[in-house]
Order: sequence, then structure tokens, then C-alpha cells
Amino acid sequence: MTAAVESVRTLSLREVGPAERGTRPEEVVIALSPAFGDPFTKTIVDVPHAEVIRQLLAGIEEQGGVARTIKVYRTADLAAIAHYGAKLSGSGIAVGILARGTTVLHQRDLARLSNLELFPQAPLLDAEVFRMIGSNAAQYAQGRSPRPVPTRNDQMARPRWQAKAALLHLKEFECIDHARSAVEVEPVISRVD
Amino acid sequence: MSGPVRVVVGVDVGNSTTEACLAEVAGDRVDRLASSLTPTTGVKGTPANTAGAVTAVRRALEAAGRPSAVPDTVLLNEATPVISGLAMETISETIITESTMIGHNPDTPGGEGIGVGTTVALAELGGQDGPVVVVVGAGADFDDVAERVNRAVAAGVEVAAAVLHGDDAVLVVNRLTRRIPVVDEVSAVDRVPLGMLAAVEVAPPGRTIRTLSDSYGLASTFDLDAEQTRQVSPVARALAGNRSAVVVRTPAGDVTDRRIPVGTLTVSGSGRSLDVGVDEGAEAIMEAIRRVAPLTDVHGEPGTHVGGMLAAVRDTMTDVTGQPSSEIRIRDVLAVDTLVPTTVQGGLAGEVARENAVALAAMVRTSRSRMQSVADEIAASLGCEVLIGGVEGEVAVRGALTTPGTAVPIAIVDMGGGSTDAALLDRDGQVSAVHVAGAGELVTKLVDSELGLEDRDAAESVKRHPLAKVESFFHVRHEDGTVQFFDAPLPPHVFARVVTVTPEGLVPVPVRTSLEAVRAVRREAKRRVFVVNTLRALAQVAPQGSLRLLGSVVLLGGSALDFEIPAMVADALAPHGVVCGIGNVHGTEGPRNAVAAGLVDVHAGLAEPVAQGVGR
Amino acid sequence: MTAVEPRSEASVRASKRTEVLEDRPVNLDGFVEEWPEKGLVAMESDFDPQPSVRVEDGRIVELDGRTRDQFDFMDTFIADHAIDVDTTEAAMATESVEIARMLVDPRTPRAEIVALGRGLTPAKILDVVKLMNVVEIMMGIQKTRSRRTPANQAHSTSAKDNPIQVAADAAEGAVRGFAELETTLGVVRYAPLVAIGLQVGGQVGRGGVLTQCALEEATELDLGMRGITAYAETISIYGTESVFVDGDDTPWSKAFLASAYASRGIKMRFTSGTGSEVQMGNAEGRSMLYLEIRCILMAKGAGVQGLQNGSISCIGVPGAVPGGIRAVAAENLVASWMDLECASGNDQSFSHSAMRRTSRLLPQMLPGTDFVCSGYSAVPNKDNMFAGSNLDTEDYDDWNTIQRDMQVDGGLRHVREDVILQVRNKAARALQAVFAELDLPAITDEEVEAATYANSSDDYPDRDVLADLEGARSVMERGITGLDLVKVLERSGFGDVAENYLQVLRQRVSGDLLQTAAIFTGDFVPLAAINDANDYAGPGTGYRLSGERWEELKKLRHVTSAENPEEEVV
Repeated sequence: MTAAVESVRTLSLREVGPAERGTRPEEVVIALSPAFGDPFTKTIVDVPHAEVIRQLLAGIEEQGGVARTIKVYRTADLAAIAHYGAKLSGSGIAVGILARGTTVLHQRDLARLSNLELFPQAPLLDAEVFRMIGSNAAQYAQGRSPRPVPTRNDQMARPRWQAKAALLHLKEFECIDHARSAVEVEPVISRVD
Repeated sequence: MSGPVRVVVGVDVGNSTTEACLAEVAGDRVDRLASSLTPTTGVKGTPANTAGAVTAVRRALEAAGRPSAVPDTVLLNEATPVISGLAMETISETIITESTMIGHNPDTPGGEGIGVGTTVALAELGGQDGPVVVVVGAGADFDDVAERVNRAVAAGVEVAAAVLHGDDAVLVVNRLTRRIPVVDEVSAVDRVPLGMLAAVEVAPPGRTIRTLSDSYGLASTFDLDAEQTRQVSPVARALAGNRSAVVVRTPAGDVTDRRIPVGTLTVSGSGRSLDVGVDEGAEAIMEAIRRVAPLTDVHGEPGTHVGGMLAAVRDTMTDVTGQPSSEIRIRDVLAVDTLVPTTVQGGLAGEVARENAVALAAMVRTSRSRMQSVADEIAASLGCEVLIGGVEGEVAVRGALTTPGTAVPIAIVDMGGGSTDAALLDRDGQVSAVHVAGAGELVTKLVDSELGLEDRDAAESVKRHPLAKVESFFHVRHEDGTVQFFDAPLPPHVFARVVTVTPEGLVPVPVRTSLEAVRAVRREAKRRVFVVNTLRALAQVAPQGSLRLLGSVVLLGGSALDFEIPAMVADALAPHGVVCGIGNVHGTEGPRNAVAAGLVDVHAGLAEPVAQGVGR
Repeated sequence: MTAVEPRSEASVRASKRTEVLEDRPVNLDGFVEEWPEKGLVAMESDFDPQPSVRVEDGRIVELDGRTRDQFDFMDTFIADHAIDVDTTEAAMATESVEIARMLVDPRTPRAEIVALGRGLTPAKILDVVKLMNVVEIMMGIQKTRSRRTPANQAHSTSAKDNPIQVAADAAEGAVRGFAELETTLGVVRYAPLVAIGLQVGGQVGRGGVLTQCALEEATELDLGMRGITAYAETISIYGTESVFVDGDDTPWSKAFLASAYASRGIKMRFTSGTGSEVQMGNAEGRSMLYLEIRCILMAKGAGVQGLQNGSISCIGVPGAVPGGIRAVAAENLVASWMDLECASGNDQSFSHSAMRRTSRLLPQMLPGTDFVCSGYSAVPNKDNMFAGSNLDTEDYDDWNTIQRDMQVDGGLRHVREDVILQVRNKAARALQAVFAELDLPAITDEEVEAATYANSSDDYPDRDVLADLEGARSVMERGITGLDLVKVLERSGFGDVAENYLQVLRQRVSGDLLQTAAIFTGDFVPLAAINDANDYAGPGTGYRLSGERWEELKKLRHVTSAENPEEEVV
């Protein structure tokens, strides 16, 4: 084929050890839900998980931040995942993300159901938004005042995506493993040309 | 002795608020029962005031627990219309030609140092002989960019620097085998001329560039002669203070900083007229006004903002008084220099320059009051006697004099929304009063434009409330440095932000500058308007124009309740040996209700009516 | 390791017709396969319990296969408060098919089937409605609806929370025929001003319109107790214990809140709907309709007069599974059958396809319900702060035409332009006067003019939001009540509006609005199940669109005059 083919990237999560509390004051924790990366590979609108992670990490790196990634198995509740991540984060800032793409920016001193920035409409989140979320997370971790990521809204997301979201939610619940503690993972992104 | 008990209400129609003071009067005994405050309806001194006045009376009756009582007498002040206007003109602009320069400040440029080479598009990279500056367009992925550059470097191309469309500079540099300076977030990167010699400089974090912001630095970089160096010096000046920059050498590229002609102002007084260009700045305008003092009228060049504003002020006065426009005179103008963040013409990355601007407040006043028709309508509406008593300034001074600790001679200053008013009661019992242009609205406008808020509500909040920085979910640092802790976490939308501390809680200020910068803008705006105007107004009523002869100065009105203006004004007056403080009418009312209470006192014969002096 | 496969469909050639079909709006809707084990199924699931009941010592000890020691709190609440212990064993012994036929058969009086229903368990009710097709369900709704006269409810909101827009659109909605008006906010602190706008505008449009403001429960109750709003609806209940507990609630706490409203004479109903439990991942393996039937019985047990159901905000879930819209119709039937006022959904954006939007509407519109829409958007959908409705202002003429085509009363009517302009203008002026009297940020004549002719929030000058929020706060702090607003309206020359508003407030004392399905006529006569009982008993009975009302509904924007075909009927 002569046309430019976008390179495809894959994500694997290499387990590093148990998820522990970080010490670097500027670090951001990315907390992944039970089905993120494995068994699911893309969000509700087919953004590859590899790209989600790559853009989150890029946003953090561009701001001079550092990130650790953890995977949570005991709950598929986004607020709980993100708040757990925030408690392990050296800066107190975490990005929580579900397999279907729903994302939240959390801080450890906040109530679990509160948040810094919430992106509830997973169908509207693309690579560009994930980059901005990463960038803002790093800036919060450094004590700066980022402009909140502009939120998008689409009233017709309900008829198109509500049921698929419910289905993905159920599938994610299936992946909950109450016996398994959260682990720190190293996201390995490789290119398949 | 005491006569029959009569219910009397003093009503003061002000520019923005209408106040009422309800009292029982028996002979010379005055028993104040209640006061009230409501927004003025219509322009002060016009029939539209009736609704607000009636509301104020009714409120006072309700507050006194007598909602259905009918007062015996309502006393109205002799209010005269004052109309003010505001305009702002930007008088300088920066223009970049031939995309010579990129001088914006991306948050995160990449690498450090300076790189000089010929501009080349990413797609064309490879095989070049001399050093190159890579230009990367929209949509490129940072991994791909880094890989291509690394490949070119491995193949022997000397890549000296890069200019990117996306926010990818750090990401790209982190992936390069050889670090180079990279400037990113250049939104119009496709307009960067290719095949030209260019220099890219990035300073370490917290520093500013040294070479491209210096004329001889540019000369050394581009090998310029003396004449060429003279030509590029505006580029160097424009880049000073940036952390990163790109300069492209093109045949006719230039950065110019030019004055925008925005028309002239014709000021008249003392039998002569002077023309002054608005673009000459506030100082020149105020100097012209001083030279023709006392000012009798001002005209602006038709078709300019200032001309339009002055015409609008005149038209409004014509509308409310029915006086022909030709008879209406602009009696005062205040000009203030300011800086407005403006997008640079010809910029490639949305560069913003702080351009000079002049803000102008103008004020027109008429002696033709239509309070008699207000009085008639109130009488019809409430079914009671309505008397117009006391001329502006006079009654207010009387009311202010009930502030404990004051004595004649006494001056009052009332800082409102559109104008700042002053009056003096001298030892001979003469009252003189003056209104000068510029007050709260102008402060809001200055705050709005200097902070680049483009949000009047946010500017108003900055003006009215102290600032703080939210440092964690459990504490804020107030602008005076004190730290306040909270038991419950603060709301997430204020986290890490500069906020105003309002009675409703913390409200984020939509800026990315520091608290100190916002505070400096706020205080400077107040100083340039309120302090300057207080001194200007008092100088006009002071005996022989000498502030030293004023004695007491009492601050009245809403601005006297501001958290910092009274102190700023008092500080400015202190060197003149003047005692200045916030009014406390009858020792209980604070800076409010001076006129309304004064009207009742004068009516009851408590206060001697004072002889009327001539203003200014 | 996981990989993303490159899409391969691109290489397959599609027919021109397929391309046309692919582009049809219906293909923007989402559809999913059923997953009954997880409750992602409308109403026919092998995982729903079998009906059973056992009574010992005047107490239900077994319900749908569970004994009391196995009850969750929903079972307990339903067994103790919703089911008639005296009749349940006999009722449960009746064949489901017999009950289903009684629901459809016009010769079985409503009272009889309602009485029988009092003894049924959730699984039995499900068993009955599973036997009915969608036409039979509509037959059942036609007969079991509480109020004889159908009505409609509107959403009146603003994307900018502009109270003037809300007032003007409320006035227009009221004059077009909505019996109830509902609002909510983008910025919650705006609520007092927007609720005042809704009330004042509503009373300008038609005296006796009832208003509510959907907020978190404490503020909603506060506004109701002050008489700034007239009723409440957004008190959500759920079909599983786990979802209830997630919201820090129980059936008892909801019942307590309901009694707080009742104690002040304020009308209220609960809200529930199919799909909410599975949407939250806690359906406990039950079908959507089974769980909704539990909600309906819980509402009945709590003693509230009515329920808003018909999936409501989860409509995308039943909408995506087979038979889902039939299940939605069935839940409206069950609410009506259980003798509750039913505000029957059709209130949230449902489909990209106009044809699907209409077909989703017909099962409620054709038989008539107490409120056909529990939120027809009386503002353009982009201003709808309930995230859009199945119908909005652009559909007014279509709705009126369907009413005329089918000779069905959907609660609305065509209104002449001059009348609409007049009420919009008056609503804005009345609110202008109220704001001036209360020292709230002034409403300019320019805003009044804009409100008169506006379509959406874009057509209004921007408000000073900070000043408005300050004003809203002062309304709450000063303790302003509905009675204060009546006085202010009277004082500022809007005596007729004040009178209308006062009449609404008076009902708080008489309690007439606590009767099932109560609304007001334009003459302030309450119409409720008690004095306007549904007497449908087959052809020629019940509510019939005839007489003056039918003449009214014959009018449309453009109807050629028979007398003079060169002109249109005005």
C-alpha cells in the first residue's frame, strides 16, 4: 500500500510490584480500572488504550512531571479508583480512568465523590483531551493553576452510547477481583508497523 | 418643649442609591425610627426617580413596623442630574512583517541555548549541508518527529533547532540523541518562511533569553552591519523578557511599534481652546485641561471612540433634561494611562504585547433639576406633603458633621460609580461643592483591561474584594500574608487558584498571573482614580486651593465602605495635615444616610440652614 | 498483551442503498444485545423470580420465592407497606392470563382491577404484563389512568439560567396548555431567581399552572415550603437495595421526605424508571421491568400520590435492547394500575430518528396518561438543562397536528402568535416589576423586548451573573416566600397575576393538590382522581375529545378556510 498508514501501537502493562505510596512531591499517579488494557483494548469510541496512556504520559512529561501507573482490581468505581490513586500519589494528584474512557482528576484531600475535574462523557474523549488531562494533572501536582480542560457536551450521546456504556460497565464489573491488591505497572507501548 | 408628633421622612436621591430616614419630629425633638436603601430609578434629578423614592419611603415604614402608615411630610433633596461616560483608546500597536519573529512564551519550550540554521520543513529534512532549523506543522506526533530528526542527525545533517506547532517541545527534546533548543505552540507555523536563516533561543527555566533580545547579539548571530543592526533593534526590544524566541532573517522583515492616531480632544476654558491628541497620553490631556482651567467644555473628534462617548453623554443629558445638546457642557474629564494586552499583528503564535491605551471618564452636570415633578408625583402616590429642601452638598455636609469628632471647617468626599463629589463647609458657613469625572466604573474598566479579563463581573469582584491564593484544600494565604485554615475541604474549582474573598465564599479570578500582580493592578487602578480624584476635587473646594486649610475630611457613600480605599485616601491626605476618616452619621449610620438624616434635622430646626456658596 | 486490529471493512464494497441506509439518523442510535444474567434485558428474563406469597399471622412471610429472613429492604418495605395482606393470597391465586384480560377487557371496571392489583407481588405483576402486547398495554393504560382528563408537563430551563427566558417560556408553555412546568439549573445557586421566573411566568400564561424546580432534595423542599414552587417530582427511587444504598438512601428515608411535603400541603411524586439499576451496574441479575415494578410498589407503600416513570434519564438503556419500549409502556401501565398518578416519561432525548421519537411517544399519547410527557421541552433542546427531551419547541406544530389527525388530546393546542407575544411580554414585565420591588438586579426594557420575541437563550442580552447570584442569595437570606411575591405583584400593578398565584398558594391550606393526579383548571378547580375519576368502560365512555376542546384542537398554524379557500382559518 502506498497511502500513509498510521502506525498501530499496543499496550502491555508489566507488573512491577505492589502499589505503594510515592514520595516524589511532583508525581502524578495514573490509576487504571480492572479491565483497562486487559481484557479491553480501547475506549467506548475506539480510542486505543495504548494511545490513552501515551497521551496522558506525554501531557505529564511535557510539563516536566513524573508519573507512576497503578492498576486497581478491587473496584470498578471511578471515584474510588482515582481517590485510591491520589492517596498513593506523592503529590496527592491522580488521574483515574475506566476501560471505557471515563476519566477523573482527583486529589487526596477531597471527598471521594468530589473531584478536581471530571470527564463523565467517555464518548467525547479523544487523544487530544487525554493529552490535556495529563498536562493539567502535572500542573496541579506542581502547585500551578491550569486552565480546566474544556468540557464537551452532547445531548445525543444518550441514545447512541448509554446502553453500550452500561454494557461496558457490567463487563468491567466482571473483571473485579476482590482478592487481588492493586499493583504498580509499567506501561509498555510498542509500535506495530 | 414639644409640639404634636409628626412622621417625617428624609429622602436622598443619589446617583446610584436612594436613601430614606424615617423619624418622628415633635418640635425640635427628632426620634429617628428607621432608614432604608434602594437603587435609584432613572438618572438622578429626573421624574423617573419617583419609583425609587416611593420604594425607599415604603421600606423605611416597613422597617419601622408601620407598613400602612402615611407620613406627614416627605423631604426631598435638590438633586441635579450628573451623567458620566467612559471610553478607552488603544494608542500603540506592534506589527510583525514577513513573519520575522516568534516572541511568545510557551509554558514549556524544550532544550536550552541558541541554534542557528536554515529553516526546513520536517518532510524535507535530510541531505542538507549547512545547519538547519526544522519547522514542524500541525498534526505531527512527537514520537515521529523525534525519530525523523534522529535519523537525519545520524545521516549527518546538522539539526540546530526546531519550531513546532503542537505543545510537544519537551517531549521531542527528551527523545533526541542530541539536545537542541525547541520552541513550540506556534499556531501559525505554516507561515514561517522556509529556506531562510533563523535563530532559535531557549533560556533555562526561570531565566530570559540573552542573545536574540540584544541588538548586538542579533548582529553577531546574523552577521549584520551597523545599519542593519539599527534596523533590527525593535526586534530585540520586542523579545526582551521572553524565555524563548525565534528570529527569521528575511529581506524586508521587521517589527514596528507605531502610534495609532485616535483623534483629538478640544478642551475649552478661560476663553481659549486647546487641541490635544488622545494618543499623546493621559499626562498631556490632563496638562491641557490644567492650562485652560476652569474647564468650560470638551469636544472629541467625530468618528473616534472618545468623540462618540462625549456625544453620548451630551445626548443622554438632553434626553433627561430636555435641554438642547448645544447648551450642555462637559464639565470635567479624567484621563488615565493604561496598558492593554493585545494580540500582535502578524504574529505566528498569538503573541501578546502590552499596548498603551488611554482611558477617559467625562462628566456633565446641569443645574436644571426636575425634582418638583418628582415631588408632585410622590405627593400623589403617598398622599402627603412633599418639600424640596437643601441643595446638594449642603445637607450632606450637615449630616457628615454629626460624625463624632468632626468640626468646621469640614469637607466631604463621596466616591460613587460615575463621579467623585466633594463639598466644603467653611468657617463662615459657606458651602461649596464640586463633581469630578471618574469613579468606581473607571476602576472596574482599568482592572478588566489591564488583567485582560474581558469579564466585567470578574473585574468588579477583583475591585470589591480582597484576594487570596488557595494553597491546599484546607488553607488559603490571604493577600496580607496571613494563612487561614478550614476544617472542611474547599470546593475543587478554587484549588490552586487566585481567588477573591467574597461574602459568598471564594471566587476564582480567571487569570494565570500571580496574586501579587493582580493586587498591584487593583491598587494602582484605585489610586489613579480615587486618590487622584479626591485630591483634584478637594483642591477645587479648598480655600485658595490649599488642602492644608481643609481641617476634617469625611468620606461618605458606598466607596467609603470599601476595604482599602479609605486608607489609601487617608494616606494621600496625611502629608497635608488633614484628618481624614469614614463618616459615621449620628454616630450610628456609618457613611450612609448623611443627606436623608440631614434633611430631617434641618427640617426640625436642629441644624442651622447654611448660606449657599458658589461652587468652585 | 493486547493489540488493536486495523479495520478491514473498508475494503468491502457496499451497495448504494446500503450507503443511503447507513446515513439514516436511526443508525446513529446505539443498540446492544441482551445479557439477562446481568439484568441487561427489558422484561423477559429467566433470572427474574417466580411469583409467590405466604401470609402468617397477618404478615407476609414469603414474597416471590424469598422468605422473610432472605428479604432485602425493598422486599421488607413492599411486604409491609405496599401489598394488601388481607387479599394477597386470593389475588395471587388468580391466573395471570385472567388478570391480563381483565386489564384489557372494558367490561371489567377500573375499581375492580385496581383492587385486585393491591394484592399482587412484583413478580406476579410482571407475569401479567409479560402476557400483553403493546396495544393491549395501551388498552390497559387507557382504562387505569387515574385522572379522566389527560394532561402534559413541560421543561422550562435556560442554558444561561436566565430567569427572564424561563419566565417567558413558562408563560408560553402555560398558554399552550401545559398543566405543570418544571425547571432546573446549570448553576445551582441561580435557583431562587429561576424558580421565581417560572412561577411568575406560569401564572401569567394561565392561572393555576403548577411549577417545580428540580434540585438537590433539601433546597427543593425549602423552595416548596416557601411557596416559591408548587410541587416536587425529582425524588428518585431505585429497584435494588445496593443502588439505594449507593445514594445514601432507603425506602424509609424517601418516605420521610414525602411526608415532609405532605405536611405542608405540597403536591409531590417520586421518580423511577427502567434501566437505572443496570446502568449503575447493580441490577442483581433482574430484568429492568421487574426492578421498576418494585419501585412502583415502593412508591405506593410510601403513600405518595404519584410517580414519574417511563425510564426517564436512562431511556438509552431500554431503548437499545429488544422490546425495551414495550417495557417502558408496561411500566407506565403498572404505575397507573397501582392507582398512582403517572407522569409517563417522553422527557429525555431518545433517538436521532424522528420516526423513532414518534413511535416511542405513541403508547402514552394515544391512550392518554396523567402527564403524557413528564417534561416536554418548552425551550429549544439546546437550552434544556435536563439534557434534552424527546420533544421540544420545534415539535409544537407536529404535536398539534398529530392530536388533530388522531383526534387525541395530548394536552396542548395551537395558539395564535399575537397571544403568545402578549403573554411572553407580560411575563417578562411582571418579572421585571418583581425584581425591581425586591431590589434584585434590574431587568432592562431591552431584556423584556428580547423575551417577547426570543427563541433561545442566544436571543437575550447577557445578565450580570455575579449580581444575579448575589440577588439569589439575598432571596434565600431574606426569607422571601410565595406570599411576599404575591404582595409585590399586587403592588406593582400585576393584580391578576398576584390573584392567580395566591389561588395556587391557598391550595396548600385546603390540601386539594394532595389528591391523586391533581391539577388545576384555568378556573382553579382542582381536577384529580377524586372528582375527575377515569370512567373508561369501552367505546363511547371515558374521556372523549369533543365539543369546545375538539374545536380548539382543530386549529393549526395553516388550515385553508372552507368558506373562502383563498384564506386560512385564523
